[in-house]
Amino acid sequence: MSKIAVDSVFHAMFLLTDLRVMLRETAPSHELDDQQRETAGKILGSIRDEVAMIEKELLR
Amino acid sequence: MKCAPSLEARDVDENLINIDPIQVGGRLTSDAMKAVIAWGDGYSVCDNCRKPNRLDMIKNPPIEQFHHDLATFLNMDEARVVPGARRGFQAVSGTYVKKGDPVLLTSLSHYTEFLAIEVNGGIPLEIPKNQGNIITADAAAEKIDLVLREYKRPPSLLFIDHFDYQFGNEHEILGIAKAAQQNDIPVIYNGAYTVGIKEVDGKQLGVDFVIGSGHKSMAAPAPSGVLAATRERASEVFRTTGAKADVTGRTFGIKEVEMLGCTLMGVTLIGMMASFPHVKARVRHWDRELANAKIIIDALLSIEGTKILSEMPRKHTLTRVDTTSSFDKVAKTHKKRGFYLTSALRERGIGGTIPGATRVWKYNSYGMTEKQARYTADAFVEIARENGLA
Repeated sequence: MSKIAVDSVFHAMFLLTDLRVMLRETAPSHELDDQQRETAGKILGSIRDEVAMIEKELLR
Repeated sequence: MKCAPSLEARDVDENLINIDPIQVGGRLTSDAMKAVIAWGDGYSVCDNCRKPNRLDMIKNPPIEQFHHDLATFLNMDEARVVPGARRGFQAVSGTYVKKGDPVLLTSLSHYTEFLAIEVNGGIPLEIPKNQGNIITADAAAEKIDLVLREYKRPPSLLFIDHFDYQFGNEHEILGIAKAAQQNDIPVIYNGAYTVGIKEVDGKQLGVDFVIGSGHKSMAAPAPSGVLAATRERASEVFRTTGAKADVTGRTFGIKEVEMLGCTLMGVTLIGMMASFPHVKARVRHWDRELANAKIIIDALLSIEGTKILSEMPRKHTLTRVDTTSSFDKVAKTHKKRGFYLTSALRERGIGGTIPGATRVWKYNSYGMTEKQARYTADAFVEIARENGLA
């Protein structure tokens, strides 16, 4: 059992959900302002971290 | 993109500004989407259901507390979650309406109110709207008098929509509730277009029941809703079962008859709960929503021939428009006929209107950012200009 992998899968999906909401708030052009770009960048960084953790846990 | 072999992923709100009149208040918050991911399995909320085994008494997740919070939010005494406002209507109607009973609703009532009366054999009687499409307290009092004369008894129930689904007009709820109270008629406040987007105070309104729609105005999955009651009425509509099986002798604890036991046993309830903090916050910003609505109204009115059929100034974001003398004139000669308007809006990333409608139609600007409201307003004007409308 990998609780870490489970947590990371959920966390990654939640982070993607935050991006989904950003897509909704900026529809239809999806042009992000500076603050939104910064937020999106942080979210994407966190998603990469979670995916790396899932890889480490499940593909070891 | 598919989420199952025969099922497309729905990405309407990611790609378009959605102005569908019934959808916008029910779009999920980020937290609700996350809750849906985590709690989507069938009876997910029942992991920790303990005796007396009733949904509204589950402590983990905090469903019991949520019920208390819902009642407080609406300034009522008790609340239950229900599978849509219509099931709330049905529960109350099932409690008070007997075969042949006169029941009042209005000329702008939602069809589910009629069905909730019909299922119990009641006789639906409409309080007429006035020329401005408003249900007045005077009209309600007159209709009550008429029923008293004709049926020799008061109506067993009165339904009143605070804002109706056809025009988004506000009706004289306070005066209507008062007229009903004077004749001991229980009042159902239909808040499908208020509860969750606008502040609602049931006690201040003087109503017996407040009913809201989760999927219409509380950023929750369908079917979901809330039925809140005063203490006196709660004991009636939330009465518990007295049934006893004749062969097995089984009884069924404290399950509530009109609720048919537990109601929202999974993702619908969890979605409501996850959105609730945001819903409580957003109702305080109704003025912002009306300001965005005005941006679009002003743009539509700048197009010659366009009329707003809803009351003005607007008190709601749901608006009925008559473009018979503007966009419909173009439709008569356009190669796409009436579909040109939908098509032109879609090309600009705006969706949610009825395809082909160019005469009388509705839209709802709820939940837009100001930027999206301005964009939508500009799109209407641009489409008008491109098609030769002044």
